[in-house]
Amino acid sequence: MIRPEDLGDGLLNWMLDQRWFRAKARGASSLRTRRAAALDGELVHTLVEVDGELYQLPLGVRDHVPDNLEHAVITRRGDQAVYDATQDPELMSRLLTLIADDATVEGLRFTPENGVNLERGLRARPIGVEQSNTSIVFGDKYILKLYRQPEPGPNRDVDLHRALRAAGAKHIAAPLGVITDGDIVLGFLQEFLSNAVEGWATATASVRDLLAEGDLHADEVGGDFAGEAHRLGTAVAQVHTALAAASGTASATPEQISAEVDAMHGRLDTALAEVPQLAEDESLLRSAFDALRTLGAPLTVQQIHADLHLGQVLRTNDGWVLIDFEGEPAATPDQRRATRSPLRDVAGMLRSFDYAAFHLLAGDEADRQQTARAEEWSDRNRNAFCDGYAKVAEDPRTQETILRALELDKAVYEVRYEYHNRPDWLPIPLAAIRRWRPENR
Amino acid sequence: MTESPETTRPDANLGLDGVPHTGETMTSDGHLVEPQSEEFGHARSAPKAPQWYKTAVFYEVLVRAFNDFTNDGTGDLRGLADKLDYLQWLGIDCLWLPPFYASPLRDGGYDISDFRAVLPEFGTVEDFVHLLDQAHKRGIRVITDLVLNHTSDAHPWFQESRNHPDGPYGDYYVWSDTDERYADARIIFVDTESSNWTYDPVRGQFYWHRFFSHQPDLNYENPEVADAMIDVLRFWLDLGIDGFRLDAVPYLFEEEGTNCENLPRTHEFLKRCRKVVDDEFPGRVLLAEANQWPADVVAYFGDPDTGGDECHMAFHFPLMPRIFMAVRRESRFPISEILAQTPPIPSAAQWGIFLRNHDELTLEMVTDDERDYMYAEYAKDPRMKANIGIRRRLAPLLDNDANQMELFTAMLLSLPGSPVLYYGDEIGMGDNIWLGDRDAVRTPMQWSPDRNAGFSRCDPGRIYLPVIADPVYGYQAVNVEAQLNNSSSLLHWTRRMLQVRREHPAFGLGDFVELGSSNPSVLAYLRHVPADPEHGVHEDLVICVNNLSRFPQPVELNLSEHEGRVPVELTGGVRFPPIGELPYLLTLPGHGFYWFQLTTDLDEG
Repeated sequence: MIRPEDLGDGLLNWMLDQRWFRAKARGASSLRTRRAAALDGELVHTLVEVDGELYQLPLGVRDHVPDNLEHAVITRRGDQAVYDATQDPELMSRLLTLIADDATVEGLRFTPENGVNLERGLRARPIGVEQSNTSIVFGDKYILKLYRQPEPGPNRDVDLHRALRAAGAKHIAAPLGVITDGDIVLGFLQEFLSNAVEGWATATASVRDLLAEGDLHADEVGGDFAGEAHRLGTAVAQVHTALAAASGTASATPEQISAEVDAMHGRLDTALAEVPQLAEDESLLRSAFDALRTLGAPLTVQQIHADLHLGQVLRTNDGWVLIDFEGEPAATPDQRRATRSPLRDVAGMLRSFDYAAFHLLAGDEADRQQTARAEEWSDRNRNAFCDGYAKVAEDPRTQETILRALELDKAVYEVRYEYHNRPDWLPIPLAAIRRWRPENR
Repeated sequence: MTESPETTRPDANLGLDGVPHTGETMTSDGHLVEPQSEEFGHARSAPKAPQWYKTAVFYEVLVRAFNDFTNDGTGDLRGLADKLDYLQWLGIDCLWLPPFYASPLRDGGYDISDFRAVLPEFGTVEDFVHLLDQAHKRGIRVITDLVLNHTSDAHPWFQESRNHPDGPYGDYYVWSDTDERYADARIIFVDTESSNWTYDPVRGQFYWHRFFSHQPDLNYENPEVADAMIDVLRFWLDLGIDGFRLDAVPYLFEEEGTNCENLPRTHEFLKRCRKVVDDEFPGRVLLAEANQWPADVVAYFGDPDTGGDECHMAFHFPLMPRIFMAVRRESRFPISEILAQTPPIPSAAQWGIFLRNHDELTLEMVTDDERDYMYAEYAKDPRMKANIGIRRRLAPLLDNDANQMELFTAMLLSLPGSPVLYYGDEIGMGDNIWLGDRDAVRTPMQWSPDRNAGFSRCDPGRIYLPVIADPVYGYQAVNVEAQLNNSSSLLHWTRRMLQVRREHPAFGLGDFVELGSSNPSVLAYLRHVPADPEHGVHEDLVICVNNLSRFPQPVELNLSEHEGRVPVELTGGVRFPPIGELPYLLTLPGHGFYWFQLTTDLDEG
């Protein structure tokens, strides 16, 4: 059987090119095989460690690789080609069969969720590039997310989906099965929403329509999005309510709040040191964060989505669905499991509306008319989202102090990110911060 | 309402002296003598095709508005018969005529005063048989509206009922000493009626009416009423008619403590009507008019285990406003949503779908928010709002934009259901919103740039409604003659699309599967009829892709299930690159659409 360390530098070099490979910035050095399981002749499931980080690599091994898999070849060893098995529909469809069979192979467990009967033999296809996972769709029915960097211990994505499912929540994709190795979740099978469109695409189609008009207001154009934003707000509130019912709520202690405010200041310190344009608004930001210390009312915390934006919601033919409950990508496992204010999700979504409104103008010289239209769109849809949210849970706008601090904290993060990665987009979060200045309120 | 003694003759208000009609004479036991089908000629039969309605294209035409044979300013049945060659050329399979029965015309002819006579302005029963015969000769079928729920108050049945409470017709209507029964039934015409009960001073009781107060509801509790209405069906079916659109079907029965809609006994009665059709007149159809959500309307198809044992067809009302909304929003979801909410229908059933008809753009089937939105978008002039709808024709609703008219028509012809075209929309006729009630969209058909648009040779002042004469939509600019002579006209385009549709059974018979894509502005779906060698049916697999946005759009469709097939564009026969494993990329111009057949033969020709 193929063992990854036998593959020499080929494998490491290939990993360096993959988007999900985190260690690339440091330049990886050593690779060690944690385990290698031959699932059948051509499919070898491997877990490798690179500089202490764990990666999942399903490998295919064939004498002759068909043309359409040539792009997936990692390296060759003698007569055999070793390639990325996630790109091979035939090998991937075997994973579905194993889950459907409730199988155990060489210690790997393939388990369907309770009461789930899976259809076998569906055609598999890999879908586009992702940040940290690789996903395979089976016949427009199921989607299997393979965690490229699996972690031992509870998997937030799986656990929250199960809790939401048990609570009867509607706005999620049903969990259908898992692949595990001991306490490590390697893969998560879910209902695939084949007719769905990402929220970002639907929102930006609306903005495009508005900006093409010029003389019409956001509430007058055909592409008005407020109805969708309203329904989205309701969906998010329903998911929050279900999460609260499933795993409870608590009041944050003053110490917890204080620690969170300190963290906000800390992130601001880093951003201020890097982004000179932020300096003018330092006092505005600091006082918004400090206002959390003297709330006077309890701050409710619970399990939340924790990385909510328009790219994490899908519009299906029956309404909105929230996906990917993994939590913030940059957070540690402990941070991800912590309870947070549900307003953090609301703030994430409100910031995302702002991005949707302004992204078409990014990089262009400011056009007052178009900027005013984009602001209208942002205000209208942010408010519609809150209106929709308020149909199920407390209106987020009634907790202005918290919401403002969370939005600004998010905007500070965005400022730093755009400064380093997309300077053209930097004005979007900067303008959002400036809109909180007293003279602009 | 006051009655002088000399008008108590039951047929006094019909205006049918000299033509056969109900109540011309009476039997000794007080029954009205009614015309019988044997007294008239019968039309030749239409070609035999049991499920013709599943693949048919319907064309709604108002007799009054189409062609005036007698030159009295009003269209008539003879005039319509003279235009059948045009309709055959266009490719129409079935005409739907709103009511042409004797009527005081206080509700556009839906207030029928004699089920067995034709409105004299339109002609006679013989003229109708002539129309039917000539239509069948050309392979065109004809259906008409029949109002089962009520009659005009001028109907001899009602006159007998109010004057002779103890006579044979005394129990034909729903009478009551109080106006308090059935309080849970909503009032449909909220603009004009304050109650579903009206006091009749002649009889000294209240009578029940779900619609206008001059349209008393028939009392289906009385078995004689049910029998009499079944006999009305038989009368026209004997003459050769191909079916009925049954108007206002949810309201036939009343029951205390209910909203008096969709009651089980209403369904029992429809099953009885269906059995008469199946046993005595196979191949004829019943089409339910039930302006309700699809999930409720499917009940009118009857038992799925029998393939359907009530109506063969029903209109899908909520689809239409959502097509308009989707294009304005540049988002497929208004359409995707309503189709996802549409339940499966029995094997012999079919939806009827439409963009416009003689009523206003019906907004009952949208939410309040959506209705406000539709008003704002499509009725910028307040006069365009009527009851709960918008009285516009297709072309003005779409600002006369040729691309949008084509896109809308392409969707009408390819979404699941049998399409119903509205007369004049094939040439992009306009409307006149300054006419009263719903007349805006009922103006004369525009045949030519001649006087009265070629509709009638009468004095222009005599015409029933003025022809459209504005510079954009007026008959000198928009007419059949001009478009016949221009092969790139909307008329020729429509004809070509009907031809393409006829060549592909998938449009009428196929499954509907939406093909999601990551572009919310593109609506793509697959229509599929599997091969059935036993019945000589070849597989037909058609893909329709519609760009709801005014901007060009790319779309990637996951067609890997059909890997290896070659899409052939249906209007031009151009072969597109074969489908591979990767998503299939298409680009569409603003408001563009494609129809492809997915063929398996890889060789040219």
